[in-house]
Amino acid sequence: MMGDENTPLDSTTAPHLLRRTCFGAPAEDVQKLLNKTPNTPYTRGQAADLLLNFKPGTFKPTGRYIENVQTSWIKYMLKIKSRLKSATQSPLQEKLVLFWHDHFATSDAKVENPSLMAFQNQTLRKLCMGDLKVLVKTIGKDPAMIEFLDTVRNFKDQPNENYARELQELFTLGVFDANGQANYEQADIVQIARCFSGWSYNNRPPKAVFHDYDHDFEGDFPDRGPKAVYLGAHGFGVTGYDLTQNGEGAPEIDTVIDAIFQHQDSDSKNTVARRIARRLFEYFADGGFGDAIVWPSDVVQAVDEVVAASGFGEPNWSIHDLVRAILVHDRFYDTAPPVSGPSSKKSVKWPVDYAVSTLRLLGVTLTGQSAYIAGGSYDAIVDHLANMGQELLEPPSVFGWDWETSWINSATLLARANFARDITSSRGNGKTHFHPEKLVNLGLTDPAAIVDAVAGVLGVQDDLSSTEKQDLQNYLTDDGPIDLHDYDFRNRKLNGLFALVLQSPAFQLH
Amino acid sequence: MAITRRQFLTRTGLVTAGGMLGPGLLGSPLIRRALADTIGDRYFVVVYLDGGNDGQNTVIPVNNVDGSLRDQYTDARQPASGSNPGGLQLSTGSLAGTTLGAVGSNPGIDPNTHCNLALHPGYSGLKSLYTSESNVAVIQGCGYPNYNLSHDVSRHVWQKADPLASRANGWVGRYLAANYSGADIPAVNINDRIFGEYAQSATSVLALNRLADFGFPYQDFDSDDNPAQKSALLDLFAAASAASQPPVRQFIGNGGTATVDASDTYPLLDGEYTSARGTYDQMYSDLDSGFANDLREVAKVIWGVANNAHPNVKARFFEVSNGGYDTHSDQGGATGQQFELHQDVGNAIEVFYNDCKNMVVGGERVSDKLCIVIWSEFSRRIQQNDSGTDHGSQGPVFVIGGKVQGGVYGNHPDIDPLALNDDGNSMYSQDSGNGFRSTDIRDVYGTILQNWLGMPHATILSSVLALDTVPQNGSANDYWTAENFNVFPFSP
Repeated sequence: MMGDENTPLDSTTAPHLLRRTCFGAPAEDVQKLLNKTPNTPYTRGQAADLLLNFKPGTFKPTGRYIENVQTSWIKYMLKIKSRLKSATQSPLQEKLVLFWHDHFATSDAKVENPSLMAFQNQTLRKLCMGDLKVLVKTIGKDPAMIEFLDTVRNFKDQPNENYARELQELFTLGVFDANGQANYEQADIVQIARCFSGWSYNNRPPKAVFHDYDHDFEGDFPDRGPKAVYLGAHGFGVTGYDLTQNGEGAPEIDTVIDAIFQHQDSDSKNTVARRIARRLFEYFADGGFGDAIVWPSDVVQAVDEVVAASGFGEPNWSIHDLVRAILVHDRFYDTAPPVSGPSSKKSVKWPVDYAVSTLRLLGVTLTGQSAYIAGGSYDAIVDHLANMGQELLEPPSVFGWDWETSWINSATLLARANFARDITSSRGNGKTHFHPEKLVNLGLTDPAAIVDAVAGVLGVQDDLSSTEKQDLQNYLTDDGPIDLHDYDFRNRKLNGLFALVLQSPAFQLH
Repeated sequence: MAITRRQFLTRTGLVTAGGMLGPGLLGSPLIRRALADTIGDRYFVVVYLDGGNDGQNTVIPVNNVDGSLRDQYTDARQPASGSNPGGLQLSTGSLAGTTLGAVGSNPGIDPNTHCNLALHPGYSGLKSLYTSESNVAVIQGCGYPNYNLSHDVSRHVWQKADPLASRANGWVGRYLAANYSGADIPAVNINDRIFGEYAQSATSVLALNRLADFGFPYQDFDSDDNPAQKSALLDLFAAASAASQPPVRQFIGNGGTATVDASDTYPLLDGEYTSARGTYDQMYSDLDSGFANDLREVAKVIWGVANNAHPNVKARFFEVSNGGYDTHSDQGGATGQQFELHQDVGNAIEVFYNDCKNMVVGGERVSDKLCIVIWSEFSRRIQQNDSGTDHGSQGPVFVIGGKVQGGVYGNHPDIDPLALNDDGNSMYSQDSGNGFRSTDIRDVYGTILQNWLGMPHATILSSVLALDTVPQNGSANDYWTAENFNVFPFSP
């Protein structure tokens, strides 16, 4: 798909942009993007600016137990208004917080402190669009992270290398660069672990604490003395980068980040800029980047283009600018057209995306303190998400979640089917219930028109193949004449049709 | 590429006639070879210890004899005391009940230094099987070249059997892909997602936590509509599986079809097993651990397959995992965190084995058809930190089964401080002149593939396990350049 930031959106690209950035594409929002002024659509660049120029929120999820904090966050995702309706809010903010939560994956299973998890979540929200270097420096001093990756157990005489390793492997550089060359050695981990010695944290208020005592003969105090990394490699001289150049002790952990952010890969490109650009690109744009250690040339090209377009790297680490460059790039729009053949690429919806977009599109509200859907199993929303493989604030490991087809297996397909059944089984009068009569014209009698209407509500009218549409029409007509005004028929077949589309392969993708 | 049983039968139109192969057909060398490429009527269970199990405190030297392993162990692992509550050392007294002995012709000692070895006291259940059933192979020093200290990378290496961690498919998955097709369900993982060993896209692997919860959630308004919903779903999944569709839709379509079909029968196994196997069912419950409950789900499926309970329940490959092994802190010694982990696994394996031993079908014990392999992504640093251990290198693997000839195989790693590398970890070596020669994980897998899963030697090397290429200036002793698929023996 050839174009640039001045390319106008159309009926294919506008919903794509909303689906990938805003938890689903309701028809009215699509219409807004197509009518900046009557019949003149937003361009890619204008739409990206519209979605991105929000003021980062300061929302902090609350709750005594981790389930409460998880629920609080989900409720916020559901409540936050579309950027097209609000000047200050944007669901894109929560998509970014979700990305950074996966990236700096921290689990309450080990931290065992819901209020510190909530504090970290708020920190990610405040910084989600800001300066990446500031974000990485802040995460290193985040109390939940200090606990999760054992900085609090990293002593001079008994170093714990957990944070030093994951900081490089996962949070910034990656094990290998785009050419499959190692980005660091064990010696670099050892030196960085020394810098992170002597730290612990306070709970109230949450804050990192450096034990800057003059007892450096004690084994559990900071490891003093010269330290350097990346000796004679990665763009640094034979003596490497001096980690004490801004002073010994507390300043060292920020100096470590300065070193990492100047690290060059075997193409003499900034390693952090390329890797973070690739991660965000994969998150928003495309599941087709593959997992080969050596990056395919088209991936390198796309990544280098957005890095160049946004100037991402020393000294400008604006996440906002990088995301904007991704959201106007051709590669982002490559996956917009509906599936047309074996080489079409679509991305598997994350469980949170699946649940939040479905509730938003169908206008169903959660109820009760545990936030459950009033039908079917009456499971709480966080239990639904856990069954789909995504427990917020409790990712499976420091690697976060596995994306794309790893979301899909028999157990998680059943969990998604269960969620679909619960929503379409929530019958009643209130707004916590499912009201298909408000979404579909009950006067319709043509099965093809009814299937199109339901698919349209859920945004997959172009993604269902003609065979699949026929399969759904067969379901609708297997039981006598169509009469959506008839209570029994409607509750059996229209609700059933919604459930089938929610359970269909097409709706698992976006 | 070798012809597989599935391909052969499909080509000759004999898919449904497997039981009616006459002596004439079996006399054909092609058929006999094709049938031999399968697991047959056997079962294979993988147990993954998630987080990097400390092998040093799993198979422990209890004396020195012709080496210094015990002294080196006690130097690296200090005794716990009032001033050093984090000491990890296991005293010989605490190991008295789990010290290994001779099993059949296997002397049950370290083959290199001849020292006696013990299992961690938490593994009393495993030790009981080792002694009473002679069916536990303790394989020491398992690893791979240029070991990696990242959980993710090292887990991938083990699961893919690829030190570069670059292959997309798992080693069991490559075997399954060669033997089964998209509509088959040869494997069940007790997990909310598929384990890396089973990764492939040729056949269906069920991932489930509890069989009882595996029913399909049809609309509850009118159950008369359920068949129509089911038929529409199967149509939708079939449409997505068509060759004209992109791989991700085919993946969801195939998985969806298998899921809907399996959701009809797999949940029934739960009640069927409980009524048929009440005594053993209760024994798992009494262990009161998530791992025992997971293993019981495997037992339910095995019971169903062995008794031919449902035509589409045919899974013979399984995986379960136990988490919590990343013991950077508070690891504990003869009691504490690692003790509890070992106890949960050892006791559950013992009950599971005895459950299978008590299942007799056609005059044969199911336990004689069973092979269990227990592994972890790496061992841990030789020198302990204040109360735990950091990431390490080679560690032990256990293989358990009625036909497994028990004993100790493979050498204890060389933990002499002078032999450790700069990280403080033991080194991988394939040097036949080195008494501490490591056991490459691919030799363990190859032994199972060849002698349990019936895959021909050449096919293993061509389609599942690849020998290493020695880099320029590298030494062949540091790589896996020659296979040995007889690490331990199975009885006939």
